[in-house]
Amino acid sequence: MPEWGGGRTTLEMIVQELQHPVRLDESFERRVMVRVRRLHAERRSRGWVAVASRITHRPGWAAALAASVVAVVTLGLIRTWPEGRGHAAVGTAPVQFVLVAPDAHSVAVVGDFNNWGLNDSALVATNHEGVWSVTAPVPAGVHRYAFLVNGKQFVADPSAPRSTDDDFGMPSSALVVEDSTR
Amino acid sequence: MNRPARALAALILVVGAVAPARGQDPRIDNRLDAPSRVAIKALLDSAAAQGIPVQPLMQKVYEGLAVGADGPRIVAAVRTLKVEMASVHRELGTVASADEIKAAASAVHAGVPAVELGKLKKQGGLRRSLTLPFTVLADIVSRGVPVEAGVNAIKSLVGAGAKDTDINNFQRNVSDDIQKGAPPAAAAETRAKAVPATKPDASKPEQQDQN
Repeated sequence: MPEWGGGRTTLEMIVQELQHPVRLDESFERRVMVRVRRLHAERRSRGWVAVASRITHRPGWAAALAASVVAVVTLGLIRTWPEGRGHAAVGTAPVQFVLVAPDAHSVAVVGDFNNWGLNDSALVATNHEGVWSVTAPVPAGVHRYAFLVNGKQFVADPSAPRSTDDDFGMPSSALVVEDSTR
Repeated sequence: MNRPARALAALILVVGAVAPARGQDPRIDNRLDAPSRVAIKALLDSAAAQGIPVQPLMQKVYEGLAVGADGPRIVAAVRTLKVEMASVHRELGTVASADEIKAAASAVHAGVPAVELGKLKKQGGLRRSLTLPFTVLADIVSRGVPVEAGVNAIKSLVGAGAKDTDINNFQRNVSDDIQKGAPPAAAAETRAKAVPATKPDASKPEQQDQN
């Protein structure tokens, strides 16, 4: 227990403070009685129903007010994730992706333009005797992408510029799509 | 509860129901641990405040999630990309598009100093997009072309007003040459010379005088 000056502990000081009598304003008792009498008179004139009705309204407003405060604070505090694609304002151009992979069972294309295939958004290529291809509209801009072979192996496009930022140890390619609407 | 109170309460309920749907992305929220989410949101906020495009950072998050990277690794990759984009943003200036910044960041990642990219942007002018030249520069440097040789090659292409088709062909030819065993610097220098000029090279005053 921490000690204050004179060897008294914090607890002892708190107890002593609480033991002091609370001094009230001299008009306090009078003001309380005025309110009690007013409430009593109101109850007698309107009856209990009216008073009860007033009381039940208050929680409703209080709840509404509290909820509005919560909503405003929530809306203010929520920081949104930017939209995944964000290419709504730009044009698109059809792009054909081709990968020669005779031994593959499946080939898909994932990249910036389809949020890397999350939520089943990968472009599924079709097989033409080992030549896998898919054509899709891609938003104008610069994109990184890769082929996903057999659902697990990422392969860069051998015919495209390399993408250098392979932070996750995965080869990928770069694609620049012109805005065909310009 | 009277009518105004009911209306207000209903409105708040609707807003309360809509707000979380607007604010969260299940692709991220369900797959990233809480500390990583907080760190990435902070990086995104910081990038937005600096005028750095946020979209490439989000795409980096999706890429990390797609390959199954853990949260700290994704945060590190996003942080690195943000630093690279900040450096090119400073050098390219406010005239650079988000795509140019993204492509230039890729070149920085490959080892090209951001200041060199700034010089290229000045040379290219305001109207010329350097998204493809920056992308090709990153590619050839990653294939072994020394930074100086790569920058000089791209500088000569941009200075000569090479079209994007020519720059694409240049990249393909350099890549093929290197694959066949050519020294990368020689491949870049030689192939850059072969690209037809469509305008006088701004770096050569005597040609400007003739026009």
